[in-house]
Amino acid sequence: MEGKRLPTTTTPFTGVQERFSLSNLVERLAMLTTGYTPDLDHELQEPSYYDYPVLKAPVWRWEIIWYFFFGGLAAGCYVIASIAALFGSREDRAVARTGYYLSLLAILPCPLLLTKDLGRPERFLHMLRIFKVKSPMSMGTWGLVSFSLFSGVTAVIQAARDGILGRWWGARLLAALPQRLIALPGTVLGIFLGGYTGVLLTATSVPLWSRSKVLGAVFISSAFSTSSALISLVLRFTHTPAHTLHKLERLEWVALLVEMMDLVTFLRGSGRAARPLVGTAPAEHGRTFWRFVFGGGLALPWLLQTLSLVGGRSGKRRNGRGIVISLLVLMGGYFLRRTMIEAGRSSSTDARTTLWNAKR
Amino acid sequence: MAVETTLHSITRSGQSRGSPLRAMASLFVGSKEPPLPPQPAMGFFTDTSLCIGCKACEVACKQWNQLPAKDPAWTGSSYDNTGQLSAITWRHVEFIERIGRENGRSADIDDQVAQAKLDGIIPMMPPGTALPFFNTDRWLMQSDVCKHCANAPCQEACPTGAIIRTEFDTVYVQQDICNGCGYCVVACPFGVIARDEYGDHMAHKCTLCYDRLKDGLEPACAKACPTDSIQFGEVEQLKAHARERLGILHERGVEEARLYGVDDNILEGGLNSFFLLLDEPEVYNLPQHPPRPSNNVVPASLWTIVAATVLGLFGILFFRK
Repeated sequence: MEGKRLPTTTTPFTGVQERFSLSNLVERLAMLTTGYTPDLDHELQEPSYYDYPVLKAPVWRWEIIWYFFFGGLAAGCYVIASIAALFGSREDRAVARTGYYLSLLAILPCPLLLTKDLGRPERFLHMLRIFKVKSPMSMGTWGLVSFSLFSGVTAVIQAARDGILGRWWGARLLAALPQRLIALPGTVLGIFLGGYTGVLLTATSVPLWSRSKVLGAVFISSAFSTSSALISLVLRFTHTPAHTLHKLERLEWVALLVEMMDLVTFLRGSGRAARPLVGTAPAEHGRTFWRFVFGGGLALPWLLQTLSLVGGRSGKRRNGRGIVISLLVLMGGYFLRRTMIEAGRSSSTDARTTLWNAKR
Repeated sequence: MAVETTLHSITRSGQSRGSPLRAMASLFVGSKEPPLPPQPAMGFFTDTSLCIGCKACEVACKQWNQLPAKDPAWTGSSYDNTGQLSAITWRHVEFIERIGRENGRSADIDDQVAQAKLDGIIPMMPPGTALPFFNTDRWLMQSDVCKHCANAPCQEACPTGAIIRTEFDTVYVQQDICNGCGYCVVACPFGVIARDEYGDHMAHKCTLCYDRLKDGLEPACAKACPTDSIQFGEVEQLKAHARERLGILHERGVEEARLYGVDDNILEGGLNSFFLLLDEPEVYNLPQHPPRPSNNVVPASLWTIVAATVLGLFGILFFRK
């Protein structure tokens, strides 16, 4: 009864019958991927307390978005560099070198961003009072601290081997350290750092983040895709053999594919709870998500990469296309984290979906 | 009690002087106090069937805990102008107007009321006047508060150890430890704990008047409640009392009465601060069976490891000569 009184044109999903438009397409994609068709008549009959939010909105803002982005890059670059160092050819050492340097560069802003995000930044050391397996944030702090250590040591060894630190005895000693052995625990910590952020969001009460349990998989896949994009972007400006770049391109292609599969699983598993991420209503972020994350940041670069991998190798054109692909993937990785945080805020203020999510 | 504490600290410092290693360690990490003697678990029983919406609990809480007032504003939806629990509001009285409820009895009652009006049993009234006893329209009130969950998600999430269980089994935020990371805020399935964005930027919520409990007093809200809608006591006794009260209400025909948080099924352990409700929990904005956030850590980690393994193996495959 309540629903019928509302003019149907204000509902977000009636555009389907009208004409082709972006919100029309976005709405179709949203319903297709989540498997949930919004039913306003039904939703309005669900009881709630004047639609006041059941949950408190997350207090996290841009600092966390950038931390998730840089943390993913630091982790992914380290892991890919280690794979190249351990299994790659002599020519692939360029990947290892670039990856280790980029990992250190990407990890540097992370502690600053996290400290700035605290309500009381001067108390950041309180994070190290305890070691709590149940709390992903506690584990993440320890993971970040130890990964930073490994990332730093590995990059310094790399610098010593590349002759950046000079030729004195200290540099020679550093260069002699077993970098590949150190990289083994470092890689495990890297995988932890790239994925725990998704686990952290899953271990909350926000319906969007917690309903399906695959957000960690989405984030680690994104760490792989954005990192291979960043490494190949840098390598394209140096004289890197096409063979090595080809390996990175293939890894990027697989990472993008796995990431898209993860995301579809995420949306399907979340159902109604995923609406704030994919829908077109005022508080929903579907337009940004489908344009900059799934469309422009994943599907488009993946298709371009497919063309590159299938087609022949024509040096300059291929390089140009590779740069475009890399930039698109990096943009997608940033917007993935941004829309996920912002849609989480919308999700936490949606009382009816929160109460629906808590039903057995 | 104060003398006892002093004596205690003297013996403690004597002990640490005895062991030079411990003394040195305490220089760096501070001395660890021995746990306080355990007390029976304490909690609230908020019986909404007795609440008259006077908000004395809100005021008493603000006064005792010296919490600032928020800027006055009309919500426009009911007499509830507090809106929600927050960092500076630890008791919140909800005013729930249930008009035109549809249940099995309502049509029947409407007919009876219409008949009674025709017969002149119900006197003539101006149109639109509510008839609380002759129809199913109801005005529910509930004083909401922190649930002091047996398995508190905020406490499980807290990365600094600021949120602890006290000797009274209540959930308490140590203000000298909290660094305002905000993880408890999204962990709480009831939207209770909040970060004070306009004050000290730390997490705050109901302390169950820990300071009063230590001196053997009951919490300010329970003390102020004029109808005993808010009752304070040992959790086990209170739960028995709550079941008894439910039985009485059912006997008197209040079939819709139900308990919330008394059984151990909410968050796998029940709530130390529980409620008697007169409608579905959703009507009070209470989640029926909130998932426990910390249960997600293992499955989410496993999926992450699966994805990482797949991608790692592809990486190895591509980079091998």
